Amino acid sequence: MIGEETIVSLFERKRHRWRLTIAALSIALTLAIFFMTLVGSMGPIGPSGGERIPLQAALDILFGESENWPENFRAIIMDIRLPRILLGVLVGCSLAVSGAVMQGVFKNPMADPYIIGLSAGAAVGASASTFLPLKQDIGMYALPLMAFIGATSTVFLVYQIAKSRGRTRVETLLLSGIAVGSFLAAVTSFLLYLSGQQFRFLFFWLLGGLWMASWKVVWIVFPVISIGTVLLQLFARDLNAMLLGEEQATHLGIDVKKVEKILLALTSLVAGTAVAFSGIIGFVGLIIPHMMRIRVGPNHTLLLPASTLAGGLFLASVDTVARTIIAPTEIPVGVLTALCGAPFFAYLLRKSRRVWL
Amino acid sequence: MRLEIRGLSFSYESTPILKNVAFSVGQGEFLGVMGPNGSGKTTLLRCMCKVLEPRVGTVLIDGRDLRRFTRDEIAKTVGVVPQIPTVDAAFTVFEIVLMGRASHIGRFGAESARDLEVVEEALKMTDTLHLADRTFDELSGGERQRVIIARALAQEPRVLLLDEPTVHLDIKYQLELLELIERLNKQIGIVIVAVFHDLNLASQHCDSIILLHNGRIEAIGAPERVLTPESIRRIYGVDVVVKRHPVTNALHVAPYLSKKSDRLKSRATVHLVCGGGSGSVLMNLLLERGMTVTAGVLNVLDTDYETARSLGLSVVGEIPFSMITDESFAANLALIEQSNILVLTDFPIGPGNLRNLQAVEEALKKSIPVFVIESTPDQQRDFTGGIALEYMARLKKKAIVVRSTKECLQAIIDLQEQACSLKPKELNTSSPKNTENIEASELVNE
Repeated sequence: MIGEETIVSLFERKRHRWRLTIAALSIALTLAIFFMTLVGSMGPIGPSGGERIPLQAALDILFGESENWPENFRAIIMDIRLPRILLGVLVGCSLAVSGAVMQGVFKNPMADPYIIGLSAGAAVGASASTFLPLKQDIGMYALPLMAFIGATSTVFLVYQIAKSRGRTRVETLLLSGIAVGSFLAAVTSFLLYLSGQQFRFLFFWLLGGLWMASWKVVWIVFPVISIGTVLLQLFARDLNAMLLGEEQATHLGIDVKKVEKILLALTSLVAGTAVAFSGIIGFVGLIIPHMMRIRVGPNHTLLLPASTLAGGLFLASVDTVARTIIAPTEIPVGVLTALCGAPFFAYLLRKSRRVWL
Repeated sequence: MRLEIRGLSFSYESTPILKNVAFSVGQGEFLGVMGPNGSGKTTLLRCMCKVLEPRVGTVLIDGRDLRRFTRDEIAKTVGVVPQIPTVDAAFTVFEIVLMGRASHIGRFGAESARDLEVVEEALKMTDTLHLADRTFDELSGGERQRVIIARALAQEPRVLLLDEPTVHLDIKYQLELLELIERLNKQIGIVIVAVFHDLNLASQHCDSIILLHNGRIEAIGAPERVLTPESIRRIYGVDVVVKRHPVTNALHVAPYLSKKSDRLKSRATVHLVCGGGSGSVLMNLLLERGMTVTAGVLNVLDTDYETARSLGLSVVGEIPFSMITDESFAANLALIEQSNILVLTDFPIGPGNLRNLQAVEEALKKSIPVFVIESTPDQQRDFTGGIALEYMARLKKKAIVVRSTKECLQAIIDLQEQACSLKPKELNTSSPKNTENIEASELVNE
């Protein structure tokens, strides 16, 4: 029999575990970011055609003492590499947290941020953007903007289609997402077929990659994704209750339909922003939440922040591999996430016999 | 604390489920909601916690319309224990019960010491504290049900709605669970509204019962007023015997299947001379086949007497533990004369009921067919010092002796079929469809 103080100590133990997990992931992420700025063509770590940045130079530059070193060293590390890593982190965070939230909302382990047409809509928007008569400098942002508009309006459309008599069932939402998704996939194929010269560019975007990274992009993406992600964490308790089913969540005082709507809006904002700049990077939003669920359990108060941090860590790391492994060319990171993510996920599936939510 | 329902009607699409339901429950009351499948019980509970919002009628909690409550406010007032609660995710018991605090903690809050206290108290009350760190899906059905109740209690509700809380529980857990609910009701004063299928559990624990039928309240009130054989037959279409439980004195509702088979329709009247429960089963079997059954003389309080009464038979009763009086004897003979067949079951014979054997002898004299059921030897049933044995020996010479109730029933059916099959050869003008009825009625008139 458990004694008087044990509920408190049980709670303390859980809270301690929460702090430990979040601290460990945060430290790992920080160290990884630091380490990854040292990796790439010209080094200090990684392939090099000839000239190589010395480790001392890289460290000096990172700590703000770049005067003694050539300007191109600083530019490579601070203006090319660091924003790309940070964009990777942000995109990874947003995809993973959105995936975790979608799996909770749909009570479906197959759910990911793209499940109700986000990626399909983004793809149509992106493809359509190449047909807009825009000048080069605005054209750079036309694709992300159109992709974002395509993504969010598709989610809205899917939601409206699924709504009948003022109610939306998640199952209907899922199915109408599939219906709209396959329709839009056909539209995208057609636009790709017509795209001519732009085909290669679009195709790269569709495969998913972080080559659009720059400080400007990071500053656009950062506020949206960080605020959205923080807001999503506030719904952790609602998501827990919603996993028990709509009716039980209602009994516990949760306005399920309202929360669902808010969560769909927030995830499409957060994931839509990520997709706009990085293209369709698969698997992060699916497997990171599952990996975290195996490690930390189904409780969203820990699952959401853990997935966020792990997603950032994972995507930035995989991207570092993607940009160095066959340098001077790079592999689209979406290809690599699937290449290494899928087998690892299969291994996890074999190893653990857990419930999948 | 008062929960009041006024003129509540609810329809899914165009199918009306609840029609003008009105009742109220007050502080410390335990209300059972009963009715056949599809009578609207669960819908009623759903309306009471605003999972469904009825267009017609209102639900009032302390005079305030439920529609004006926010979800949080409802959760703090009404706890719900759903039917067959399932949890797909690997949550621990503690996590699940803590979810009951969601409405108190709020979106921006954190779990306070008080929240943990309430959770602990809820776990203690439901005897699930030792399960706190276990995963919900590894628990037994009874444990799960208790955990879900703990979760509802963590909401600190003033009303607890339970939808068939005992379903899927074995008899021990059923009793424990009802004990728990009763404790919450009586000690903490939580208003309980629970849907039950088990008439006995409900009548034993509820202060009052609502009987729903096709979305209407058929009866409402104390269990003994609501659960009568008549109301149950009308609503469930099942015949029951309602008695008092010998130990708890609670109502005890025992159903029996009345298979009114048309094929075996017979209008014969069978008189039973029985006692001590030896005739109860046969009474029902004969009734099922459409026969009229009478019985006598039986002491009031005798099992067979009670069965006969609850089945609505004509029966001659005698004051308990007394000899058969001349009056009763005569009344019994009158019933025997009206019957086509007499059955003598194997009940113990003492000086008190010896005259029943005399009555059987009278029947034989009037050439009424007599069946004697003999599953225990006469010697073991004789408490008259041999007089009964003499009677039995004489009776058996003229009567048909069968070994069991089942055999007796078959013999009675055979006898009637014989009577039926003889006639059609003579009456080949009549249509075969009506033959049976004619034969049966002739048999009665013989």
